[in-house]
Amino acid sequence: MDRRTFVKGSAAAVGATTLPRIPAQAQSAPASIRFGYSITMSGPLAPGADSTTISAYKLWQKRVNDGGGITLKKYNKKVPIEYVSYDDQGKPDELLKLTERLIQQDKVDMVLSPYASHMNLASAPIINKAEYPVIMTTATTNKTYELGPRWPYAFWNIAQPRASSGALSKVLADLKKQGKIKGRVATVHPTVEYGVENNEAFLAAAKTDGIEVVFTKGYPLGAADLQPLIREAMATDPDAFIAFSYPPDTFMLTEQMQIVGFNPQLMYVAIGGVFPTYKAKFGNKINGILVYGPADNSGPGMDEFAKAHQAMFNRAYEPGAVNVYSALQITQEAIETVGEIDRKKIRDVIAGGSFKTVWGDIKYVNQLNADPWAVGQWQNGELVCLFPASKAGAKQMLFPKPKWS
Amino acid sequence: MILFEVFLGGLLLGGTYGLIALGLNLQYGVARILNLSYGEFFMGGAFAAFFTVFLWKLNPLLSLFISVPIAFAMNWLIYQYLMMPLIRRAPDQDALDADVVLVTFGLFFVVQGLALVNWSGELRGYSFLSTGVPVFGATVAANRLLAFLGACFLGLALFLVLRYTRFGGALRAITIDPVAASLVGVDVRKFSALAFAAGGALAAASGMLVSTFISFTAAIGVEYTLKALIVVIMAGVGRVTGTLAAGLVLGVVESVGGYLLDPALTIAINFGLFMLVLLWRPTGLFTRA
Repeated sequence: MDRRTFVKGSAAAVGATTLPRIPAQAQSAPASIRFGYSITMSGPLAPGADSTTISAYKLWQKRVNDGGGITLKKYNKKVPIEYVSYDDQGKPDELLKLTERLIQQDKVDMVLSPYASHMNLASAPIINKAEYPVIMTTATTNKTYELGPRWPYAFWNIAQPRASSGALSKVLADLKKQGKIKGRVATVHPTVEYGVENNEAFLAAAKTDGIEVVFTKGYPLGAADLQPLIREAMATDPDAFIAFSYPPDTFMLTEQMQIVGFNPQLMYVAIGGVFPTYKAKFGNKINGILVYGPADNSGPGMDEFAKAHQAMFNRAYEPGAVNVYSALQITQEAIETVGEIDRKKIRDVIAGGSFKTVWGDIKYVNQLNADPWAVGQWQNGELVCLFPASKAGAKQMLFPKPKWS
Repeated sequence: MILFEVFLGGLLLGGTYGLIALGLNLQYGVARILNLSYGEFFMGGAFAAFFTVFLWKLNPLLSLFISVPIAFAMNWLIYQYLMMPLIRRAPDQDALDADVVLVTFGLFFVVQGLALVNWSGELRGYSFLSTGVPVFGATVAANRLLAFLGACFLGLALFLVLRYTRFGGALRAITIDPVAASLVGVDVRKFSALAFAAGGALAAASGMLVSTFISFTAAIGVEYTLKALIVVIMAGVGRVTGTLAAGLVLGVVESVGGYLLDPALTIAINFGLFMLVLLWRPTGLFTRA
């Protein structure tokens, strides 16, 4: 579909060179701005890629094109968004080939982020070498701290392990200082990079903050029964139970903790805790549970976003999609500020600017989002944002977590 | 006390493994079709239960009345119209296996793709019987207990059918030697098709039962095909009742081993056991020597 317009575009370009009488000022605007992305459309990561990333891409394209497109000042014209997309099947080597292809062969104007930490990281060197600015929307790994600054064209939008784990440790330290808890915490995590890194980051922060970690254990991703692990954690009598979990185990832990009646005063689950399905499955039982990567649904522009999402996909948005959408808004604003597709200038605008988005105000320091929403909480059926507490829209924490009813 | 609870949990988990594998063993053992799209019918059963709860606000068990007949019919059609042409042209079982693996692998992509398009990739789950049940002082999840009882019931029913009915006798004859079975007047094609269809129906039933305590997406099928395959290979191809026993062994070893050693090792323990069985009894635990 996209190659045809590409051919048309090249034909137009050839035409332009053979008609030298067109004055330079009236240089014609491109028929579209072509965004390329390679993302996981098949395999185990496909569902997540679809609900978090691809749906945001589709929604953004529709909403922007319904309004005429992205304004290019240089031509004083609105230009619609067009996509060139490929399925990387969740394989980094495929992603690399396809990203090269998007840049070299399809000659897209801009590239958008792939899905999942390792894929985001894998694509960063390529887009950086080709000098395509990309806001990576689904990477959270300790490596970003070290590698991020090396790739000036890659930006990192979500909370990295030290931010989210650090926030949790601070909360516990505060509660301990106020004498509300003894400061004993149990942590569990799947033995995948995300779980291990976040756990390590938390253990380091807890040490500095004087929090006693009385239990910490890993389990394999896809574990079929977590009840024994919960029993073991329970036996250590912690005030807080923290799980750097993935979606299936987020759900399983929540259910099995109810079954054995484990009621810590504070409970945190990571990925999947913000999903609409989580609330649909457990109803108000999740009241007071802390979660990773929330979005503030009362933020500016969120009403329209939620309605448009519902209308387009007939389901509630996944809060992760709000972060992806914010990256698209920033990209759009940067292009409009520059007024043409000049990727070096667009990169500089993203790097230096401050942006109002559906996911709150965002600015980048060393290409890292300075204060992304890291920790949220379910409060009476609503997902609210808690940390960073200094951010506009942050709410007070509900403590202690109500007992399972 | 915890160890006893862990053991019980392993038993329930093992029952589930056996349940998931029952249908595949019927398909592979009797109909001699290694169906890599098996898990897609498991997924279909889980989704039928999910929609029954969320769209129609009904008891998920009622979804069995829809998903089981549909899965039966679809698998019968798959056997008659996709597998029969392969069976007819295959010179021997090895050539047939290769063709079947390719075709059912393709089928898996088609079914999963259709499910992803129609039902989206969202993670699904619902709450059903998610309460603790005291059993001799330990606590087990009611929904897992239900799946276990379902496994026992289906396993027993299958055992009785195979052992005491003419139909079951015909199926066992086909399992042992399809050529000889046809010589003594068993309509191999008809019975194989029925066994294959029944296997698909069991996949849907197990999907429903397991969906009460897991969260799932439209892409979950292949994971359960693999789980089922491990149990089938461990039990022995065609050993339908042994499947349940092999599942139980796997579940208990996984749970107790994970508890005593380290929970992070559960999957390693699982595959370690699988390897041991393959080395010690390559044809399966419950095959006659």
